[in-house]
Amino acid sequence: MNTYFIKRFIAMIITLWLIITGTFFLMHSVPGSPFNEERTTNEAIQKNLEAYYHLDEPLLVQYGNYLTALLHLDLGPSIKKSSQTVNEMLGRGFPVSFELGFYTLILAVISGITLGIIAALRHNGVIDYLSMSIAVLGISIPNFVMATFLIEQLAVNFPIFPVATWTSPKHMVLPTLALATGPMAIIARLTRTSMLEVLTQDYIRTAKAKGLSPVKIVFKHALRNALLPVVTVLGSLAASILTGTFVIEKIFAIPGMGKYFVDSINNRDFPVIMGTTVFYSAILILMLFLVDLAYGVLDPRIKLHKKEAK
Amino acid sequence: MKKFITMLVSILLLFSLAACTANSDAGSEPKDDGKGDSKEKAEKVLYLNNGQEPTSFDPPIGFDAVSWNALNNIMEGLTRLDENHQPKAATAEKWDVSEDGKTYTFHIREDAKWSNGDDLTAGDFVFAWKRLLNPKTGSGAAFLGYFIEGGEAFNTEKGTADDVKVNAVDTKTFEVTLTSPQAYFLSVIANPAFFPINEKVATANPEWFSEADSFVGNGPFTLAEWNHDSDFTMVKNDKYWDAKNVKLDKIHWAMVDDTNTEYQMFKTGELDTSDVPADLADSLFKEGDVKVEDQAGEYFYRFNVNLEPFQNVNIRKAFAMAVDQKQIVELVTKNKEKPAYGFVSYGFKDASGKDFREKNGDLIKTNVEQAKELLKKGMEEEGYTTLPEVTLTYNTLDSHKKIAEALQQMFKENLAVDVKLANMESNVFATDQKALKFQLSRSSFLADYADPINFVENFQTGHSMNRTGWSNAEFDQLVKDAKNEADEKKRFELMYQAEKILFEEAPIIPIHFYNQVYLQNKAVTGIVRHPVGYLELKSADKK
Repeated sequence: MNTYFIKRFIAMIITLWLIITGTFFLMHSVPGSPFNEERTTNEAIQKNLEAYYHLDEPLLVQYGNYLTALLHLDLGPSIKKSSQTVNEMLGRGFPVSFELGFYTLILAVISGITLGIIAALRHNGVIDYLSMSIAVLGISIPNFVMATFLIEQLAVNFPIFPVATWTSPKHMVLPTLALATGPMAIIARLTRTSMLEVLTQDYIRTAKAKGLSPVKIVFKHALRNALLPVVTVLGSLAASILTGTFVIEKIFAIPGMGKYFVDSINNRDFPVIMGTTVFYSAILILMLFLVDLAYGVLDPRIKLHKKEAK
Repeated sequence: MKKFITMLVSILLLFSLAACTANSDAGSEPKDDGKGDSKEKAEKVLYLNNGQEPTSFDPPIGFDAVSWNALNNIMEGLTRLDENHQPKAATAEKWDVSEDGKTYTFHIREDAKWSNGDDLTAGDFVFAWKRLLNPKTGSGAAFLGYFIEGGEAFNTEKGTADDVKVNAVDTKTFEVTLTSPQAYFLSVIANPAFFPINEKVATANPEWFSEADSFVGNGPFTLAEWNHDSDFTMVKNDKYWDAKNVKLDKIHWAMVDDTNTEYQMFKTGELDTSDVPADLADSLFKEGDVKVEDQAGEYFYRFNVNLEPFQNVNIRKAFAMAVDQKQIVELVTKNKEKPAYGFVSYGFKDASGKDFREKNGDLIKTNVEQAKELLKKGMEEEGYTTLPEVTLTYNTLDSHKKIAEALQQMFKENLAVDVKLANMESNVFATDQKALKFQLSRSSFLADYADPINFVENFQTGHSMNRTGWSNAEFDQLVKDAKNEADEKKRFELMYQAEKILFEEAPIIPIHFYNQVYLQNKAVTGIVRHPVGYLELKSADKK
């Protein structure tokens, strides 16, 4: 078991390093510069700015400096928001994005799985069609349309919730709803499909034959196996939702980290591009690792430590 | 089975934990809301939107509207723009100008204080202005200080800080020597780049501007709270010399980057002003609630005079005259902009009180017949039987695309020329435009300070804003002379001539002047929006 963890850990570090290296050189190979605004300044000032952020040094030196700083967990200063460091920006933005993402995931997982189970149990019935229509709507309506619709209906026409910003629990309802519909729909469809598959298997028939109650059959026997594909998508879904979403955060003026992903690239704010990439990759790699662990828990047939199993 | 139960229990635990965090948040958060508190109802609180996190509240670094709008109200320079956008005495009570118009002696108010109670001295200005010009500061605004004697040399590392002719004669007298007499100098120094900096504070804490706690200003308001990327609050500054004329108690700035959301918040009363969402512009204009004000700047297109077929002046003019600016603003942008037939925008008065734009008139105007003739003539001059292929390039954005398509249509209808359209991500676009890689490309200019020279100087040979390859010795000389001319009448005459030459040669196609359109709560008065782009709240009031 321990060797498995150590191996996995080394592989994770190597993956991260590859991502960092790839992003670093790709980002510098893209034309454009952080000081490329319409309100332009002359060459002398451009040079001063480049020198200030060490962008005039050879690329390999910059790369070396970046890696050294990263080892000390220092992600550097933002070029665009010059009075802030990337650490500060992520340190502020991530908890907010995480909070929104966390509620979203809970809502999506619970409602998605519930919808999926109900649909599977009432296969080809009215409820099945109804819940799957909801799911199809959820997948096909982009979350920004959902967000606008929710604001228009529940904040402006019927002023139940505030329009935007992130200051009290009341402010969190609409963005969570808007963000959760998509993942909810995906989870519902996946659950339904795999539930249908599991429900036709022999061991379920055996359970039924033994006279177990339908509730027990579903929750004890069927669901556990049916959840495997759900857990698989949940890994990458969680990583992307927890680190913030550009559109929803923009529409609801939520001070999360979603906007940094897009703005940093438009602005060629190199340290922020690197910071968000490193951070996101680390979370994604961690989530994928957790998914692998979860497989083992859900399905004992999947062994994490093959060698020992032999 | 046991494992499964453990998992269920842990999930439940996680849920309850989440519920707990939500509750503890609930207890602490509403204080940020700043609304609904009974005590605050008596206060005059203005709710504004800054769109985004300010770039920086360090005056020479925050060189953009998202920083200026706030900065202009928590700090103050020697002069301040009044409601007619003219520079008025501010931190400086009065000033003397030497006979040659080059040396200004400012007398700083005795009661000018910093928000921490420190006395505001001439030394604070010397410190701030030298810092603006210091190449190590890395200020994008440094070029504004180039008309100070020694300023350019210091910033380009050809001179030292000691060569910069700014000087504290005594604690309240500040003297500055310019390279040439500049009538607009008093207007330029109202720009945040020239705000003073409390030397004591800045020396003790070089990052003084990055948090509300450490921020020390000298404006009508002072920074009370700053939640980065979320919102900030400013309150009336009791130590401000003119505090008795400041009417608001508090200003809350949200950072809502989405115009539709901003508009919804305005409708529900969460904001006092809002921009106009593009989709709703038509109906909102019809309802008549939208206010329109000039902004000093222009949307235009650049020719590249080094690439065929635009090396020929008649072909350039033909393209320029084939454009119907009026149609573009009425049918495409629909934002009540003024169509542009010159480069300097409205709002600059010459010595006789005439508006620059009105006096110099329409320098290039839509004229399809003449455009056709000029194209024919130009093609003959160049020996073209068919016109070389023309590609029009713009940076990827819906609004730019609409204008580009309208232009394409106009060239086709009016000149029977098929122009290709291409678009590019804006940063790549800017790089390629500076490298003169496009034949015809979208451009915009927003003035840094309120004087026509700021517009005209862009097209000097080799200027970083030229980006057309165009060069004209006579034009260069006129701009240079205008910069050295102390007499206002003569100075405007030189600029009138320069702008005329620009359009005789037509390296650009003007499209429209920029404007500021917004909605405002009817209870709010006195907000001044300067054409150079910053907001004035000193005299703002809310019923």
